[in-house]
Amino acid sequence: MAKIAYYPGNVARAGASEVEDTIQPLCQALNIELVELPRASSDGGNVIKQATPKLQDALVARNLALAESKGLDILTACASSHAIMCNTAEDMVRDPVYASTINNLVVRTSSIEYMGESKSWHLLHYLVEEIGLDKIRDAVKNPIKMNVAAYYGPDMQRQGACGNDDPFMPKYMEQLIEALGGTPVDYDSKCQSVGSTAILSLEDSALRMTAAVLSDAIDSGAELVVSACTVSHANLDSYQSKAGRVAGKYTTVPVCHLTELVAFALGFYPTRFAQLRTRVRLIGS
Amino acid sequence: MAIVAKVWIDEDCITCDACQDICPEVFEVTDDSSMILAAVRTDGTFDRNAGGSPLVGSLGTDLGDVIIEAAEACPVEVIKYELVTEGGDAPAVEAEAPAVEAPVAAVAAVAPAAGASEALNAIFSGDRSLNILFGSQTGNAAGLAEKTAKMAANFGLEPNIIDMDGFDPSSLASMKRVMIITSTWGEGEMPDNAEDAWNAINAKGPALANTQFSVCAIGDTSYDEYCKAGHDWNDKLSSLGAQQIHPIQECDVDFEPAWKVWVAEALPKLACVDSSGGFLEELLEEMVAYGAGDDDGAVEGDFTPGVIERAELNITVEIFRYCPEAAESGWDTLACTVPGHATVQDLLLNMQQNVDGSLAFRRGSGAGTPTTGVRVNGRVALSDATMVSDLTTDGGHVKIEPLPGHPVVRDLIVDTSRYENHRSRAEPWMRTDPREGARLPSGAAMGAMDPALATGLHQAGDVLSFQLIQAMSDTIAHDPHYEGPGVHFQQWLRAMDPRTSEVQRRTLLKSLQEKDGVWSEADHASLMRYGEDGRLAAKGLNDARGALLNQSRYAGKSGRLVKWYGRSVKWSGKVNETTLYRQVLGPLGLVGNIFSGVSARMALAFTRNGAPPIRSLQALLLPPAGVGRIPNMINSKVEHYHEVVSLFNEIDQRF
Repeated sequence: MAKIAYYPGNVARAGASEVEDTIQPLCQALNIELVELPRASSDGGNVIKQATPKLQDALVARNLALAESKGLDILTACASSHAIMCNTAEDMVRDPVYASTINNLVVRTSSIEYMGESKSWHLLHYLVEEIGLDKIRDAVKNPIKMNVAAYYGPDMQRQGACGNDDPFMPKYMEQLIEALGGTPVDYDSKCQSVGSTAILSLEDSALRMTAAVLSDAIDSGAELVVSACTVSHANLDSYQSKAGRVAGKYTTVPVCHLTELVAFALGFYPTRFAQLRTRVRLIGS
Repeated sequence: MAIVAKVWIDEDCITCDACQDICPEVFEVTDDSSMILAAVRTDGTFDRNAGGSPLVGSLGTDLGDVIIEAAEACPVEVIKYELVTEGGDAPAVEAEAPAVEAPVAAVAAVAPAAGASEALNAIFSGDRSLNILFGSQTGNAAGLAEKTAKMAANFGLEPNIIDMDGFDPSSLASMKRVMIITSTWGEGEMPDNAEDAWNAINAKGPALANTQFSVCAIGDTSYDEYCKAGHDWNDKLSSLGAQQIHPIQECDVDFEPAWKVWVAEALPKLACVDSSGGFLEELLEEMVAYGAGDDDGAVEGDFTPGVIERAELNITVEIFRYCPEAAESGWDTLACTVPGHATVQDLLLNMQQNVDGSLAFRRGSGAGTPTTGVRVNGRVALSDATMVSDLTTDGGHVKIEPLPGHPVVRDLIVDTSRYENHRSRAEPWMRTDPREGARLPSGAAMGAMDPALATGLHQAGDVLSFQLIQAMSDTIAHDPHYEGPGVHFQQWLRAMDPRTSEVQRRTLLKSLQEKDGVWSEADHASLMRYGEDGRLAAKGLNDARGALLNQSRYAGKSGRLVKWYGRSVKWSGKVNETTLYRQVLGPLGLVGNIFSGVSARMALAFTRNGAPPIRSLQALLLPPAGVGRIPNMINSKVEHYHEVVSLFNEIDQRF
């Protein structure tokens, strides 16, 4: 059984409990043992960074060091959290003096140190590169059988954070959708930002960006949008009707998180999956 | 002060690294022995210098004491050196002579070239002086002048580096060969050290009938007066009758590659100028070979130079087309074969010349022209600096679109006037307070900025194109008033430049803080994707936000988001969404979410895809949560929560 430390991100154990509900059983089904890091804190969400980059980096380095102390890499299902961990790890490699400053702070407060050995994985890359699509295909019990548009967002779509996938024309999620029995829908906006946490402070822009992504996916034939980012998931779903009104676009389409889609296909939560199918029939394009 | 003429390493070096630690400019320790670096020796080879090749230039003077210190620190005493007294007397041998007799160091006399033609040897027999003038503010031009001088020796020239500060332009009349390397300062101004010389030559310029010259101009394409100082010198010398032997070379902020091209082409030409100032063009080919150290017959045996191969690519190209007259848009698709080294611009040129002459796109110089931005295979890139083979593989697909965030004029040409207007209003150019100049120990004027600071400043804004930075934003297409990251990044770079006047700095920061300012960018992640340029821009804009947060004391929605995000993490180690929604949106925002249907979608579990809605309803019902996506009012704390608090207290106690 593959063993990896688990970082739920900032909201999977709060507002986005659907991620927490689904990641645990899907990992069990695929023989992935998620090791809890009860001391892990928020990563600062690129918000604390605006005031003090060093503080955010120290919080992240501490989380990475907690995984490293167990000799494990770290897994998350949130693109934003994954990108933040990659950024901090890269910044520390790029500037050893800065790394030393951060590590001094982490050692002084938490008695651990990040040596750069543990790395962050997004669930998507872990499934495709480490578990393998064949194994996932074999484990499918309820094929998706829908036209699914993958939403990656910009956070992890850069060199060094997207595994071996192409940062600008990614294919991993489409390959995964195919393995789950769905039909991937290609569309231009799959890596465009939907504003992330700026939905609170810069609502109009974030709503227009959200509407642009959703309407592009719908125009390309999507019946369902699947998000690899937990924070963006909220914008794409909870704010979709408001986004449509603000931008004057048709945006009504069911949205689910990557963990939900995989868990549903592997046979978990069949009633939720049934509801999702019903919604696709009723309100999907 | 001791002057070292030559230094060498005897056998039995124990490679302890002591010499390299003390004087890395001269010594490099390999696995076998300490070596004398090629760059410091007149013979230009890298070995123990058993032949006793003399040190180049003034190195023996500048580093004499350090070389001796290294020799004395050598535990096995294998570092030997030969000393020259300051008065220039005969060398006083401080150690036993090297095994091979050293060649006479005769920098002032140019030895005839072995195997060279009679004409070439004849030209070496006369005056070989080359005058390299530099106008420098931060030291870049001065550094290039020094490098140019080192290369000049390869062509049998005797370089003389001249700081323009205190330079008398009337002396130009007696110079046969002149190279000028100058930066441009502010809005087309001369660097501080060149101002007096410039004024003097304008007041009374000598006749320069026998002078051959070439100019290397350093500038910044983000300024309107790009490389103006260099052009001013070029035009002035021409107007005084001097012969421009090689065209002026413009160099952008990444000046080194362009300078290399210039110096490789201009030096051999100037080396073909005879003592009377005449250019012997017929010797140029031989001179180039001489400078490169070519020597027919030197290589023997079966030797085949390496060949770098890039296989041809068979690709499908899709190009966006737009005709403004018919207001029609669409895509042209064709299959083609391109050389492996072709750029996107090569591809477009080929299409324009062989398929459709009406295809419109902006053409660049081939070296990363800032205005050649397009979107290709999902990324924004400069078409003349992006290779097709970096975008796709054989049998692949290339999709070329106009740069996002700008209205399309025709095909791939976009209207950048919005960007230019924003930039014009933002005024991110230099306005300085009067300041004093600083001088190096040598007396060279180098401006007032600390070199480390100047380097840091240069690195912070070392991007190919601010227009491209502008197009990296995903927000700008959705907010017509947002000035954009390309403009704001320039403003921030200027604001943190210590030469900027206090009034200008305040104006810039005020502009960044205003509506449509730096807070209008919804997601810096969209910039971060674009390699080093995007990373630099995102970092700069994040730093700008940090400075503005300090200044504004976390005012406004963006400030409140940062403040309460930080506080909620400090309270428990986790983000508390309840706190965020309440503090950032406020009561009106929460009520707005109810009427806009956002709260309903949350509470009715649309985002749960059938999960029990009770968890969401709890948040609606239990005070003081307010309304919104708030299932957890009070977070449980992470284990060892005090460690998180300690980090906050150590780094930032404002939360």
